[in-house]
Amino acid sequence: MKGGSIFVRGRLLPLFVWIFGLLLIWEGTSWMLLHVVETPLAQSKLPYVHEVLSTLWKYSGTLLKEGAATFGNAGVGFLIGAVAGASLAVLMSLSKTIEQLTFPYAIASQMIPILGLAPIIYGIVRDEQTSRIIISGYITFFPVALNMLRGLRSVDPSALELMHSYAAKPWAVYWKLRFPAALPGLFGGLKIAAPLAVTGAILVELMGAQHGIGVIMLRNLYYGSSHTYMFWSTVIVGALLGIVSYWLISLIERLVAPWQPEFRPKGGSR
Amino acid sequence: MSLLATNIPEIQLENVEMRYRAEAAEVLALHQVSLDIAKGEFVSLLGPSGCGKTTLLRLMADLIAPTGGNIVVAGKSAKEARLAQKYGIVFQSPVLYDWRKVKHNITLPLELMGVKKSIREERALELLDLVGLQSFADKYPWQLSGGMQQRVAIARALSMEPEILLMDEPFSALDEFTRERLNEELLSVWSKVQNTIVFVTHSIPESIFLSDRVFVLSPHPGRLSAVVEIPLPRPRTAEMRNSPEFFELIASIRDSFEGV
Repeated sequence: MKGGSIFVRGRLLPLFVWIFGLLLIWEGTSWMLLHVVETPLAQSKLPYVHEVLSTLWKYSGTLLKEGAATFGNAGVGFLIGAVAGASLAVLMSLSKTIEQLTFPYAIASQMIPILGLAPIIYGIVRDEQTSRIIISGYITFFPVALNMLRGLRSVDPSALELMHSYAAKPWAVYWKLRFPAALPGLFGGLKIAAPLAVTGAILVELMGAQHGIGVIMLRNLYYGSSHTYMFWSTVIVGALLGIVSYWLISLIERLVAPWQPEFRPKGGSR
Repeated sequence: MSLLATNIPEIQLENVEMRYRAEAAEVLALHQVSLDIAKGEFVSLLGPSGCGKTTLLRLMADLIAPTGGNIVVAGKSAKEARLAQKYGIVFQSPVLYDWRKVKHNITLPLELMGVKKSIREERALELLDLVGLQSFADKYPWQLSGGMQQRVAIARALSMEPEILLMDEPFSALDEFTRERLNEELLSVWSKVQNTIVFVTHSIPESIFLSDRVFVLSPHPGRLSAVVEIPLPRPRTAEMRNSPEFFELIASIRDSFEGV
């Protein structure tokens, strides 16, 4: 439809102009630092965009392989953390006692800096894959538990009374009312946790692993200015992994809970 | 009394009392309410805000328990009646589940009772037909207007053919025109299903138009202050709202408020 294409163009065009403009400023600034201001180690501070992009292309095979190692472990940890977080939320919603027993510890656990926890975990398990999974799961756990609990509690009291009036069994109240009502909260938590899980996995790799995007990130940082372009490429790949994880969760949300107000067509509030 | 009503009491309240603890003070929400509702009767609980009419309905529904007195529903306690799934409830808001299509909102009570899927689907279509929403079976609740949503809520309440339909100001959020039309539709549905209906409202004309009897409640403390028989013949028609009889009934119910 004509109206639709204008709408799409109206949204995409400014985005392209923005990105292109930013890249142009970047390239220009990089050139200024190198040739006009003549800063020492100018390319380490802000490398040429075209050099970074060509390195990204040239080593795309390696970057993809190492990125996949990071993403795979982060994904497994994320899944385990999400299941554990959601399960704890269900238990806490069932019993105030369980909530009072576990919630302070759940909060306290989040006070431990990941930067400190990662080497401890690595020191104990001595396996980079397991460490990555544990840290990613650990990071995922809290936002998922918190948002899921909030979702389970957000049920409209009348909706609960309706279940009560039909003498619904407790499992039916969960299965047919509380779980569906908690889906927006659950996905809210998952969307916060997914990029964090990737960042967590990369952090573990900095502690001395053999594989993963964090490993080549660290190596190229140590090798110094000659590896600047590769270092920047790994940073970009790391960011992309986070974006992809967020995007994946958003996609699943649209498939699983498409009835949410934010997905309704315009004017659908009627 | 309507032809449908019998002399068998369906709901009996005896000296029912309800006290709330609100901060430090104790509030007497209902004081010594005794009443009988016959099987197949359509009654209204009418009164201003704070008279305890919704509390009274919630007591009958076993959503709350009284602090005194006795409630008997079809020869059992209110709780037993609820567990035996004798109630259909329609709240002030439709309370439809956003993630269910209209037809699946309607069949929710049947699902909870373990009714087979093929029978549920069939029943959903019958009920949609009954409330005039045949073409909306596969829509989601938010795609319907407020009046349509409340009709879905009524269809849901009727899905398991409840002996007793409890309605808590179901049309109070709707405009006058929609409300009057839905009143007429409700009566036509009732004439087909022939169950007992307890209808809470703060509208005098609405209570007269619908009911066999109107229980008038007054506040501070909430209590039953009058019972008014509505002798208008059935089936009731829209024109009856303009009859002198109708206006006399409005005046007499108003008077019963003045008297308190």
